[in-house]
Amino acid sequence: MRRQKEEEYLSGNLTAMIDVVFQLIIFFVCTVSMQDKANDESIKMAMAPHGEVSKDKNPLEITIDVNKSGVISISRQPMTEGTLYSVLSKVAAEYGAANVPVIIRGDAKTKHGAVRTVMDACAKAGIWKIKISALKEKG
Amino acid sequence: MARKRKKSEIHAGELNLTAMIDVAFQLLSFFIITVKPVDVVANLNVFRPSPEKTNTQDASPAKLIRIQVFPEGFVINDRDVSVRQLEALLVKLAEIDKNQTILIMCANASPHEKLVEVLDICAKVGLNNLSVVSSGGY
Repeated sequence: MRRQKEEEYLSGNLTAMIDVVFQLIIFFVCTVSMQDKANDESIKMAMAPHGEVSKDKNPLEITIDVNKSGVISISRQPMTEGTLYSVLSKVAAEYGAANVPVIIRGDAKTKHGAVRTVMDACAKAGIWKIKISALKEKG
Repeated sequence: MARKRKKSEIHAGELNLTAMIDVAFQLLSFFIITVKPVDVVANLNVFRPSPEKTNTQDASPAKLIRIQVFPEGFVINDRDVSVRQLEALLVKLAEIDKNQTILIMCANASPHEKLVEVLDICAKVGLNNLSVVSSGGY
């Protein structure tokens, strides 16, 4: 009788542990896929087969999307030039303008005028190092 | 006797379950590790000079290589060129000095892919000091 009780106790512990591990796995799987959804997928970027791939991701980097019709957004949040400037200048003031990498994901068909607006806002905020995102190969 | 047999059956079932869970975990972790989105995004580094800086650069335009990007095509130092000619010229320039400043002036009306095209050629030939300015009005 005593041995049987011990076995039940052991298997009970195992179940709880498996539950917790599953929860952890599901949590990580969900959060990993959520990271990708921050980018606007309707943007078709231009091709640049010779551009270099950035190896390490800087947690401070700001990705600014410019879609086909020239709407500027960060993490799917559309914003005007004024809002963009205030966001950038706040980040630049907090971390130093030279430390903030700005990446522009522009649609291939958008006019340069919209991208220029983003660049002007960056320059005004003191950020003069800009990365322009492009596709390395057809996805 | 009957009781004993029942006990051993439960024991066998638990063992099987553990093995299955182990395998399932192995599979899960394998897939989580291997399913990594392929990095197909390239980043092209450019400098955006602030307006004051542009003015000082305009004072000595002789040393600068100016590439103008228009919706219809490219102009390098006031010469109309095709993409191939531009690439050939930039290859020659890169042989002389890879760190010279290239000023890329992009017209507002030209599509973004034209600018990326120029930046891509510059990345290909190894020129890395690129400044992008916008020419207004066009």
